[in-house]
Amino acid sequence: MTRPGVAITGVGVVSAAVTGDSAALGAFLAAPAAPAGEALGAGALAALVDPGEARRLSRVCQFTIAAARLALRESGVDPAAGLGLVVGTELGDLASTHAFADGFLERGPGGLSALLFPNTVMNTMVATTAIAVGAREMALTLNAPTVAGELAVARAAAALASGRLPAMLAGGVDELDPVVERELARLGFGAERRGEGAAFVVLEPRAAADARGATVLGEVSAAAWRALPARPWGVGRTRRSPAIAAALEAAAARPGDVGWVYASGSCDSARDRWEEALLGAALGAETPVSTLGRLLGRHAGLGVLRVAAAAWTARSGLLPATDGTTRVERVRPGRGLVHGLARGGTHVALVVGAA
Amino acid sequence: MEPKEVLDELKAILVSRLKFDPRRAAETTEATPLPKGVDGSIGLDSLDFIELSIAIEERFGIAMDENQDLTEHFASFDTLSRFIAGKLRSA
Amino acid sequence: MKRIVITGLGAASPYGAGVAAYWKGLAGGACAIRELTLIGTDGFRCRLAAAVPEPLAGSARRTRADRLAIGAAGEALADAGLGARDRAAAALVVGAVGGGMLEAEAWYWRHARDGTRPASLSAVRAMLPSAHAETLASRFRLGGPRHTVVTACSSGAVALAEAAELIADGVVEVAVAGGVDAITRICFMGFNALKLLDPAPCRPFDRERRGMSIGEGAGFMVLESEARARARGARVYATLAGHGMTTDAFHVTAPEPEGDGMVRAMSAALARAGAAPREVQYANAHGTGTPQNDRIEARALARVFGEGGLLVSSSKSMIGHTMAAAGSLEAIATVLALEHGLVPPTANLATPDPDVPFDCVPRAARAAGLTCAISNSFGFGGQNVTLLFRRGGAR
Repeated sequence: MTRPGVAITGVGVVSAAVTGDSAALGAFLAAPAAPAGEALGAGALAALVDPGEARRLSRVCQFTIAAARLALRESGVDPAAGLGLVVGTELGDLASTHAFADGFLERGPGGLSALLFPNTVMNTMVATTAIAVGAREMALTLNAPTVAGELAVARAAAALASGRLPAMLAGGVDELDPVVERELARLGFGAERRGEGAAFVVLEPRAAADARGATVLGEVSAAAWRALPARPWGVGRTRRSPAIAAALEAAAARPGDVGWVYASGSCDSARDRWEEALLGAALGAETPVSTLGRLLGRHAGLGVLRVAAAAWTARSGLLPATDGTTRVERVRPGRGLVHGLARGGTHVALVVGAA
Repeated sequence: MEPKEVLDELKAILVSRLKFDPRRAAETTEATPLPKGVDGSIGLDSLDFIELSIAIEERFGIAMDENQDLTEHFASFDTLSRFIAGKLRSA
Repeated sequence: MKRIVITGLGAASPYGAGVAAYWKGLAGGACAIRELTLIGTDGFRCRLAAAVPEPLAGSARRTRADRLAIGAAGEALADAGLGARDRAAAALVVGAVGGGMLEAEAWYWRHARDGTRPASLSAVRAMLPSAHAETLASRFRLGGPRHTVVTACSSGAVALAEAAELIADGVVEVAVAGGVDAITRICFMGFNALKLLDPAPCRPFDRERRGMSIGEGAGFMVLESEARARARGARVYATLAGHGMTTDAFHVTAPEPEGDGMVRAMSAALARAGAAPREVQYANAHGTGTPQNDRIEARALARVFGEGGLLVSSSKSMIGHTMAAAGSLEAIATVLALEHGLVPPTANLATPDPDVPFDCVPRAARAAGLTCAISNSFGFGGQNVTLLFRRGGAR
């Protein structure tokens, strides 16, 4: 079954490596430079989040609002006409959760912070962003390991395909958490390169975007998420991907139509191998694959950034290399796939094409 | 404790608990209104007032009776520091 | 348009394991809010909660929240008589907030701050809200698409709405969905610090109400397309005829004073169900017992249904605010009210608030021939959800 396409009309990215809209992202991808430090500096946020607002916003909420504003500004969508919001995150606002707990552990009940408490619930980024941009329709926070960002875009696309909303803001955000990083390293997961930041895309039904004369940056032709057999947090052996099959069918695309792939690899080698096998089985071993995770560090924001990057590749015919270098290769413009795979088997496939 | 000393403590709470920039906190005076929506106020909302109450209870060792309407005491730094100084005297 | 029916129910509530215990408690107006012993409460103004009594399902190695979810989801699946093939294709949507935070806290309280003992990998993984979906999918061999929603106090209701969307969109024919939360120190301390808790058991809609009570639990449903349910001869409890989700976009903790977001959520659910306001006979309210929520919710209900336009009661008066489980446990209460023709009461309601223009069914359940009811969940951050149910396979 084919669904009408969903247009990407705005992009916002906030990260150590690149901060800005689709033009900034495109310039970065054309000549990628690995960020000097892992963590995002305060300077980039100051221009996008007002100091009066910032007082009451945790760092991860500031990332989210900044990226959402960039995307909305680029799209020209008016939130008052009806705007839904979906944000994917893997860890939420753990920094506030630690700080809240520390206040109690250091000083007892008098050390509890009322201002921090709402941030201990993972919907805080959505709640604060909805207030900041005036999004009053459905607002979801999706929590998932590895694929939360891709899932948010897929969920937002589904909401638009049902015809109930005129526009959706779909984003992903995560913040590096020192306690989690320390414990994962102790447990042998230190090789996986994690990062932090936020990325948003504005999505609208194609017909609506065209009708208001919006600049269409790309199209999400189809999106699907499914589960593959695997133990919890395990790596499975199935090679046939129901999500890729469903997305290709919905996009009326054959494997040969897919020119390139943005995949979710980032040095968790068993998981990466499984993803390579799935992609190879679905698309053939020759399809070029890019995994920005090695360049940028993996987090939920990267999952959404990959969708924006896919729109850029569909236009430009350029794909950043996958080997951790900063080369860029030429690929067939037009259509490609964004793919995410989590341990335990949840996987997401999005067919992204040129405007 | 005199209202002036109480005011200094409140300014410290503005920074440590309410996350105000130290310069902004230093600029406030007794006359500065507290609640959002009042001209020249420092812009505190309901959640800020709860945080402020917790901080006041902890710092000054007094109890804020939530069955009482304390709105008038939270109108400005002046009214608040007098209220706290009064509670300390009667404690 | 595809009709979505409920074919299985499962609950782990402060009354104990199972839907039968849950309904018995609710119908009897029994208040399960009592002294909290699961965590330390010294120095806090409120020392009560509605905890789920032992024994819990699943192994003691699992997090408390996982065990609550296992109990409820397992019961729902068995109740629906869902076989292996249907389970292999079934979607799973979980509403969660705390995840395995209770156990993570215990470790953090003892070891994280001075790094004396590393966390175990399973503990790190079990901490996040998304862990329940992994546990349930594996244990019950649910092979369809799964995802986890975190929308604060409305998470359980959102999970049900999400499942309905998946079925309506034709992605799956069957879904398992619900919400779960276990008591955590952070949640208990935080609501205490915000002075949102009543030191006595909460009194929703009472003139003297002073705040919420905290609870915990899990509520799960099996949802199917009506065609599929009929084809396999499944027992149909109710139709999930409509749902609405809106956002206040007003304040991170306080509800928008006019209740506009609540009104829009209820109106959207009515519109989606093709129902007129006068058709709805009962609202299972969000009804936390805070002065603000109950006043604003009552105003919103009056705007949509007219003053006195339907019966209203709050299950939170009995099971407390079960956080991410509230939306689904209370949806189960709503479905059972329709099934039994009995409106569960608002417990502890001694002096109805004159500003609440509704019969809030004080203290004793009320027999009523119900055909249509709604369940409201209005979460922190202005996340508003209304679910509309019709009795059985009613049109």
